[in-house]
Amino acid sequence: MVIVKRKELSFWERLYLPEVVRGLSVTMRAIFRRKITRQYPEEPLATNEVTRGQPRLAVNEDDTIRCVSCGLCEIACPAYAITIDGQETDRFIEREPERFDIDMLRCILCGFCEEACPKDAIFMSEELELADFSREALVYDIEKLKRPISALQRRSDYVYKLNDRWHSSSSTS
Amino acid sequence: MPVEAVTLADTTTKELPLLVLWLFKAGLIYGGLLGTAALMTLAERKVSAWIQYRIGPNRVGPWGLLQPLADGVKFIFKEEVVPDGANPLMFRLAPILSAVPAMLAIAVIPFAGEVKIGDWSFGTLSIANLDISVLYVGALTGLSVYGVILGGWSSNSKYSLLGGLRASAQMISYELTLLLAVLSVVLMNGSLDLRAIAADQASTGMWNAIVQPVAFVLFVIAMFAETNRHPFDFAECEPELVGGFHTEYSSMKFALFFLGEYCAMVVMACLATTFFLGGGALPFIAELAWYVELPVFCAKASSFLFLFLWVRWTLPRFRYDQLMTLGWQVMLPLALVNLFVTGAVVALGWHPLLMPLLAIAVLVPFALLFGRPRPRSESLTHEGAAG
Repeated sequence: MVIVKRKELSFWERLYLPEVVRGLSVTMRAIFRRKITRQYPEEPLATNEVTRGQPRLAVNEDDTIRCVSCGLCEIACPAYAITIDGQETDRFIEREPERFDIDMLRCILCGFCEEACPKDAIFMSEELELADFSREALVYDIEKLKRPISALQRRSDYVYKLNDRWHSSSSTS
Repeated sequence: MPVEAVTLADTTTKELPLLVLWLFKAGLIYGGLLGTAALMTLAERKVSAWIQYRIGPNRVGPWGLLQPLADGVKFIFKEEVVPDGANPLMFRLAPILSAVPAMLAIAVIPFAGEVKIGDWSFGTLSIANLDISVLYVGALTGLSVYGVILGGWSSNSKYSLLGGLRASAQMISYELTLLLAVLSVVLMNGSLDLRAIAADQASTGMWNAIVQPVAFVLFVIAMFAETNRHPFDFAECEPELVGGFHTEYSSMKFALFFLGEYCAMVVMACLATTFFLGGGALPFIAELAWYVELPVFCAKASSFLFLFLWVRWTLPRFRYDQLMTLGWQVMLPLALVNLFVTGAVVALGWHPLLMPLLAIAVLVPFALLFGRPRPRSESLTHEGAAG
C-alpha cells in the first residue's frame, strides 16, 4: 500500500498566481534550451556495427556472390521471408543462387539468417529505410540485395568477433 | 474628447465616400484578423514545440510559414460527416454561430488614432465608431457560447453534449467576472467607448494595468475561460470527452470552430490591450501618429496572444469543481470588491494611484480569510491507512 503524504501548501503557494508565474518561467526557459529534434531525412540516424538493418547479400571483390544457396537462412527465417532457387556454377563452390528473394515486408530484421549462414554470405546491413509505392516493389530480388563486401565490412568484422567468443579460430570461408 | 474630434469633419482635409471607406477598412481589418488567426495555428504548434525542446513545423515554406495554408487546403478537401441522428439545421449552424460573433467583435477595436496620409483623412483605424462599444463587445462574448452548446447538443453524441454543457456553464460563470472587471475600467475612464478608454489612458499616462491591477489579473484569467483555452478548456478536454463539443465535426466545419476560437483569442488580446495597456500608447509620450500607434498596438496584442500559448503549455487543466470554485467563490467576489473600491475612489475623487494600494489593502485580508486550506476528506489524505 502506498501512503500518499500530501504536502501542506504554504500561504504563498495557496495564492496560486505566484506559482503560476514560477511555472511560466520554467516553460520560458525551456523555449531557449537546445532543441533535440533530429531533422530525419537530412540527418539520418547514426549507425554502428550493432545496427541490425535489412539483410543484404555479400559479393566478393571479384564480383562473385558468396551465397551457395544451401537454404539454411531460408529455414532459419521465422517470417518465411526468404525464397531461394539454386543452380550449378563452374566456380569452385559449384552452386550459387539463381533466385534469391527477400520479402522486405515480411522480414522482421531478426538476424537469424546472418547467424545461420555458414558461408558469411548474408549480413544485416546498415540500411534502414524501406518505403515504396507497392507491395511487389518491396520483394527484393538478388540484384537489389547484392552489396560489395566492403560495404558490409563493419558488420562482418563484428559478426566474426562475436563468433570468436566461442571458437578459437574464426569461421571464415 | 477625441470622439468629437473624429466625427467633426475638417474642411481642409479630403475624405473618401463613407461606404468605400468602410469597405476598405473592413477588408483591411478582417484580412488582418483572419491572417492572424491562421498564423496563430502555426504559432501554437511552434511554441508548443519550443517548450518541448522541439523545432515544430518547418517543411511548408520558410520556417513553416505556409503551414496554415496547407492545413486549410486539407480541411477543404476532407470529407464532411454528419452523424446519424444529428439535428441537420443546428449541426450546420453551430460552427457559423461560433465563428461569426468572435469575428464581429473586432469591428469596434480602435487599432490606432486618426489616419492621415497627405491631405486625405481616413478616420480612426476601426471599422465602427460605436459610442457603446463595450456593451457591444459584451453582448457578442455572450453570444459566443451558443455555437459551442448548439454544436455539442446537435451532434447527437454524449461526449459532445457533456462538452457543450460544461462549456456553457463555464463561459457564463466567467463572463460575469470578465464584465465586472471591464466595468471597473469603465468607471475609471468614464466611458463605454473603447476609443475613449484608450485615449484616456494615453492622455493621463496611467494605464489600467497599473491603476487596476486586480481587474487586470481577473480579466486575463477570465479571458482564458471565455475563449475556452487552457487551463479552462473544458469544452474540448480531450482525455475526458474525446474532443468535447466538436467530436463529431469534420472538414471545414471543424476548421470554422477553430477559426472562431482563434479569432476570439485575437479579439480578447485586442480588448485586453485597449482596456488595460492603453491601446497604441507608449509611456511618457503624449501624442503618437497612427503609424506608430498601430505597431505598438499590434505588439501589445501579440504579447497577449503569446501569453495564451505560453499558459497553455504550462498549466494543467483544472478539475471541474475547482473551476467553479475559482469562478464563483474567488474571482466573482474579488471582482465585486474591486468594483466597489473603484467606485468609491472615483466617487470621492481620490487620486487613481491609490487604487493599487487599496487593492492590496483589501486583498491581503481577503486572501487570509478565504485562502485557508479547507479540511480534506479522509479518503483524499490517506491518513491512518497504514494502521
